[in-house]
Amino acid sequence: MILKVNNLHKIYKNGTHALKGINFEVEKGEFLVIIGLSGSGKSTLLRCINRLIEPTAGTVEFLGENVTHVTGEELRKVKTQIGMVFQHFNLINRHSVLKNVISGKLGQLKTLNSIFGNFSEEIYDEAYRSLEIVGIREKADERADSLSGGQQQRVAIARSLMQSPKLLLADEPVASLDPATSNSVMQFFEKVNKEFGTTVICNLHFLSLVRRYATRVIALKAGEIIYEGQPKEINEEWFKTIYGDEAEEVEIR
Amino acid sequence: MRTTNEINQSPLDIIRQNKEVERRVNFIKAIFLDIFFVFYSVLVVQRAIYYKFILDLRDIPFSWEGILLVFIISVVISVCWTFTRTSISCKLFGVAKNNKVTKWTVEIFGWFLFNITFIAGWIITKLSIVDLFSSEGLQGAERLFGALFRPEFGIFDDALFAMIETIYIALLATLISIPITLLLSFFTARNLMKSSKFTFAVYYVLRLVLNFIRSIEPLIWAIIFSVWVGIGPFAGMIALLVHTIASNAKLYSEAIEGIEQGPVEAITATGANKVQVVWYAVVPQIVLPFLSFTIYRWDINVRMATIIGLVGGGGIGTMLMQYQGLARWHEVGLIVLMIALVVWVMDYVSAKIREAIY
Ligand SMILES: Nc1ncnc2c1ncn2[C@@H]1O[C@H](COP(=O)(O)OP(=O)(O)OP(=O)(O)O)[C@@H](O)[C@H]1O
Ligand SMILES: [Mg+2]
Repeated sequence: MILKVNNLHKIYKNGTHALKGINFEVEKGEFLVIIGLSGSGKSTLLRCINRLIEPTAGTVEFLGENVTHVTGEELRKVKTQIGMVFQHFNLINRHSVLKNVISGKLGQLKTLNSIFGNFSEEIYDEAYRSLEIVGIREKADERADSLSGGQQQRVAIARSLMQSPKLLLADEPVASLDPATSNSVMQFFEKVNKEFGTTVICNLHFLSLVRRYATRVIALKAGEIIYEGQPKEINEEWFKTIYGDEAEEVEIR
Repeated sequence: MRTTNEINQSPLDIIRQNKEVERRVNFIKAIFLDIFFVFYSVLVVQRAIYYKFILDLRDIPFSWEGILLVFIISVVISVCWTFTRTSISCKLFGVAKNNKVTKWTVEIFGWFLFNITFIAGWIITKLSIVDLFSSEGLQGAERLFGALFRPEFGIFDDALFAMIETIYIALLATLISIPITLLLSFFTARNLMKSSKFTFAVYYVLRLVLNFIRSIEPLIWAIIFSVWVGIGPFAGMIALLVHTIASNAKLYSEAIEGIEQGPVEAITATGANKVQVVWYAVVPQIVLPFLSFTIYRWDINVRMATIIGLVGGGGIGTMLMQYQGLARWHEVGLIVLMIALVVWVMDYVSAKIREAIY
């Protein structure tokens, strides 16, 4: 077991109760997808896992260790082992693609070396290899913001690969991409999952993508898990419970 | 660090408690603000409107005991008022009762405050249309403007050198300020410093000091430094430098606070440390705004260097002051003309450069 979340609560400063007692476990090699309406707490959950935010109550166990309230060096150590990809890519626009990819390695580099851009041959090699995995090695020297959305997201995946992550979190990684590009980006997640055995937890909105890529699904509603199971078991009825009665499934391929 | 006790509390309890605490804090704030409002209005009505305007007294009676009495009365009135939860401050802090009485008191008292402030301002500035258009006054102004528009070019060389001095004072103050401001701005950016109690304390103290320095005008700094290091361009430069650092640190740190959080989050999530996050995710986002602020500040400093010269900060301002003291208005005319020209050119050039950067 790689991750165990136990009775997790998150209450934001403004009083929003975003997570209300979440329990689940993730086995190594799974491709877990989290679905749910906007505001149901998907992003909050991911952020609690890699501790971008601190949970209010409950525990998160990563690789058998309780990481719920670790701080300082220990916390950084945990973060280096968990990659994260965001909806809006979050690249450094003014930096080159290569430098963006290398920044995924920062957690393992000396501060001075990283500031003076003093990277070893191996790191460059690794960065090029990561770019090759996502198929955009030839873009290495271009400015990040000159790339299309799909390409930027691939750079972001390459950046997280630099961490050689045990766990890869993706927060709606294709929500700002067109359907065709979405699919191709999702294929890279699948590749990372299958070829390197990296466990993936991914927030998604489109059920067709969920059915195609997920090995297991969790549905959140108002901060609580209301469904857990196989993607193919989500039928009309479950769909209405998750997304509300008025919702209708939109197909994308 | 949270205590285990707190973690074991039910989340709903925590929410309720937070709300309760916030309501109480707001209520206390409202009490203080109400005291201020009432005290202020009583003072203004008594001193400016009653003594000065209605009784038209020359020497207004003043004693601290009197003021204290007014204050105590105001405190009693306003506290009673706040506790009815219909006062203006209750409304401002969102703890007022939601009824007709609140609505009326807020409207009437707000209107009242605005009016007495305006009337007091009128009385205190001794606003007088008569003075502005008296015939003597107009004649004086005419003489002066006449001279200014026929500048004396005999002192052109001297004025030119003084002008160059002024521009260099401004330039040097701006240049030296850059590294110091840069360093300070990271320590005064809330989003970078709020993570731990220690850094937040540093942030807070630095902000306080910088706010204090900034609140003192460069003109006054120049007076201080001309006593400290002697009258002349050096005093002017240091005065400008101090003020530039304090104001630009604020602008810079606001730029840092306004950056996109996405990249910061992404770099943090890789396990990078604080310095790495700043260097990789913050710095690239603020280079251009920083450059732009600095150039703009040079432009402002040229103008300020002129003013500072008036109190002995060197350059064209000092020269202006000398000729003004001798009432040689034709020479003053030339100097004013040159200042206007340089300021206009600087304004134009700095705007162009800033446009080109973006
Ligand atoms: N920083 C924050 N401060 C206060 N409330 C927040 C914060 N972030 C999120 N929330 C609130 O927490 C709840 C859950 O938000 P979250 O972003 O986790 O939802 P989500 O499922 O990711 O939605 P989306 O699909 O729109 O991304 C929402 O009600 C949101 O308003
Ligand atoms: Mg989200």
